[in-house]
Amino acid sequence: MTKYILHRIFWLIVVLLVVSFITFSLMHLVPGGPWDKEKTLAPQVVEALNKKYGLDKPFFVQFGNYLVNLLHGDLGVSYSRQDRSVTSILLTGLPKTATLGAIAFFLAIIIGIPFGMAAALKQNSAIDYISVLFSTIFASIPGFVLGILLIIIFSVTLHWLPTGGWGGIRQIIMPAFALATLPAAFIARITRASTLEVIRQDYIRTAQAMGLQQRVILVRHILRNSLIPVVTVAGPELAFLISGSFIIENLFSIPGIGRLFVNGVFARDYGLIMGSILFYAFAVASINLVVDLLYAVIDPRIRFD
Amino acid sequence: MVKKILTLFFSLVIIASMVVLPACSSSTSSTPQVLRVNIAGEPAQIDPNRASWSTERTVIMQVFEGLLGFNQDLSLRAIGATEIPTVANKGISADGKTYTFKLNSKVTWSDGKKVTAKDYAYSIKRLFDPALAAEYTSFYFDIVGGQAYYSATDAAAAAKAQLRDAVGVKAIDDTTLEIKLSAPHPTFLQLMALWPVYPIREDIVTQFGDKWTEPPNYIGNGPFLLKEWMHEDHLTFVKNPDYWGTKPKLDQVVLNMISDANALFAAYQNNEVDIAGVPAGTEKKVMADAVLGKEVLRYAELVTFAFQFNVKVAPFNNVNLRKALNAAIDRDAFINNVRGGVGKAAYSWIPPGMPGYDASLGADYHFNVTKAKEFLTAAGYADGSKVPELRLQYADTGTNPTIAQFVQNQLKVNLGINVSIEPMERKAFTQAVNAEKYTWAWYGWGADYPDPDNWLPQLFGTGAGNNHTAYSNPAFDALCAQASNELDNTKRLKLWADAQKMVVDDAPVLFMQYRERFLLVKPNIQGLKYTGMDGDVAGDMFFPNVSMK
Repeated sequence: MTKYILHRIFWLIVVLLVVSFITFSLMHLVPGGPWDKEKTLAPQVVEALNKKYGLDKPFFVQFGNYLVNLLHGDLGVSYSRQDRSVTSILLTGLPKTATLGAIAFFLAIIIGIPFGMAAALKQNSAIDYISVLFSTIFASIPGFVLGILLIIIFSVTLHWLPTGGWGGIRQIIMPAFALATLPAAFIARITRASTLEVIRQDYIRTAQAMGLQQRVILVRHILRNSLIPVVTVAGPELAFLISGSFIIENLFSIPGIGRLFVNGVFARDYGLIMGSILFYAFAVASINLVVDLLYAVIDPRIRFD
Repeated sequence: MVKKILTLFFSLVIIASMVVLPACSSSTSSTPQVLRVNIAGEPAQIDPNRASWSTERTVIMQVFEGLLGFNQDLSLRAIGATEIPTVANKGISADGKTYTFKLNSKVTWSDGKKVTAKDYAYSIKRLFDPALAAEYTSFYFDIVGGQAYYSATDAAAAAKAQLRDAVGVKAIDDTTLEIKLSAPHPTFLQLMALWPVYPIREDIVTQFGDKWTEPPNYIGNGPFLLKEWMHEDHLTFVKNPDYWGTKPKLDQVVLNMISDANALFAAYQNNEVDIAGVPAGTEKKVMADAVLGKEVLRYAELVTFAFQFNVKVAPFNNVNLRKALNAAIDRDAFINNVRGGVGKAAYSWIPPGMPGYDASLGADYHFNVTKAKEFLTAAGYADGSKVPELRLQYADTGTNPTIAQFVQNQLKVNLGINVSIEPMERKAFTQAVNAEKYTWAWYGWGADYPDPDNWLPQLFGTGAGNNHTAYSNPAFDALCAQASNELDNTKRLKLWADAQKMVVDDAPVLFMQYRERFLLVKPNIQGLKYTGMDGDVAGDMFFPNVSMK
């Protein structure tokens, strides 16, 4: 197990290095740089800015410097955020994004799994049809459309909730719901399909034939076995949710990290782009590792030897 | 089971009520003197020397004041100085190269210390520091030694110190500041009213380094103090109790950072902000709304929109073709259909509200298909179908696609000219335009200061930094050179008028629209004084006058 984890951590580092090189290269290859502004800067100004941020050096020297700083935990500075360190910008936004993402994930799980299981256990009943209908609707409505609808209903019309910002539970309700609907729908459908498969297995029939209580069969045999595919999709969903959504954070004015990457790309803020991508890559790779380890907990047949 | 469900339902209702109801009962009998407005997003710089964008100006202007500032009509007023320097009051030398500012000794920093000439001298010299790489420094290159110091990016520390000392800014005593220019600069006083030369405290910058712009280190001399900066979310300002001038009526100003236009509009309707723009395309609906229609505020801004031609590239090197395109566009239809009825048709470059605006210019460009066809014939094309397909580039953001499609359609319908439209990512578009690797592009220009000096030589002078049309006219350049050194204002404006006429006649751009600001303002706001050069927020130069009734 330890060997397996160390092996995965080694490859995680390799992945981060490759990701950083590809991002760094693409960033410098795309047309337009950080100093290309509608009001053209004087050549002396551009020269001074390039010098200040080390952009006057050759590409590989810049990349080497970045890696050296990275090893010291320094993700560089943001050109579009008053030279604040990218690490501090990400760390300021991360708790907000992660809180929102975690709540959305929790919502997705508590909505998706019961709906999916209920639909499977009562296949072709009204519950099944309602579950499929709602999961189709939620999977089809883009987050920004649902977000605007929520704002129009609960803020503009009913004046119950603030339109956005950060600071209290009232500001989290709408963005968390808007974020949760798509993964909830996805999880409901996966749970339904997986449960349908499990309940047709011989061991379930055996358990029923042995006269086990339905509740025991449900919790001990069906739920546990049908969750493996759910965990597989829930991992990346969690990574996506806690890394933030540009659209939802932008619409609800949430000072998280979801907006930073897109804004960084628009501004060609190299520090912010690199920092956001590396964070995202790290989050996805780490959560995938945790998910792989969770398989063993859920399904004792899986071993890492 | 049913009982359990009902219990759960009512529990949820009670919890929801506890969460929601406080919001519904938040109104109080006395009106808090709090103004809640919105800026476009997180300010990139609030260091006055380094700032360059309207969002940043809106923040800085609450906390800092300069030697000079602007009145609502954009004439100059003395703030940190006792008077506006003139030749008559010996504030400007006879050769126009030495400016002496007498400081108002009442002005203090928010921590109680006096603002002295040394604070201004430090700030201006810091503006030229190559390590700071401030973006607006080039405006001040006429100050003796400024450009040399700024350009010394590779110089050794000792050499930089020498160059710094050589910058022509000197605190004669605590209340006298002298600035020497290498050449007369008729609009220098306007530059001295801008944010890059606001005073800055050396001891604060030294003590806090890059953190000096974070509250509570952000010590200014203006009417408000920066109390809180929640990054990416909002900034909160409170009244400066030690402000030397008339105290603000507002206790607090909150600058929110809602970047989505629909969300901002919703926030205004939900009474979370007091001033807001409306999403593009909803202007007419808002005007027709029984409630919102009465809260609309419209005023002209010093901004002109146009399509710039790359006049080096065929067929845009043909002046008569450029004129034909200018005459073939129905700008009133553009404003009515594309801009929601907001804005004014432009037939020349300098906008209304600026010295140098001339409504009589561009008479040939008023929508007239017959006239356009005459120009087309003079250009050597029997009809529009003979004109090679024109390529129009634009940044693929906001309403730009609609704007491009409008022009494409107008030229096809009115002249039979085919136009291909080429959307580009914003930065890629900007780079292509700045490198003059484009053919025809949508753009706009807003005033940094209200003078033709900021509108003509920089954009149409041969090889000028912001001239991306590649337009070159020696006669125009000569007029600009003359006007830039002419200290007699009447003669100077006449020279600029002649220069603008040349640009209009040569049509290196297709003039389209003077921008108008369209906002919603809550009826309980009193004393809002707006100008054509406001930053992100209407009236942000004069928030101390505002009160809430």
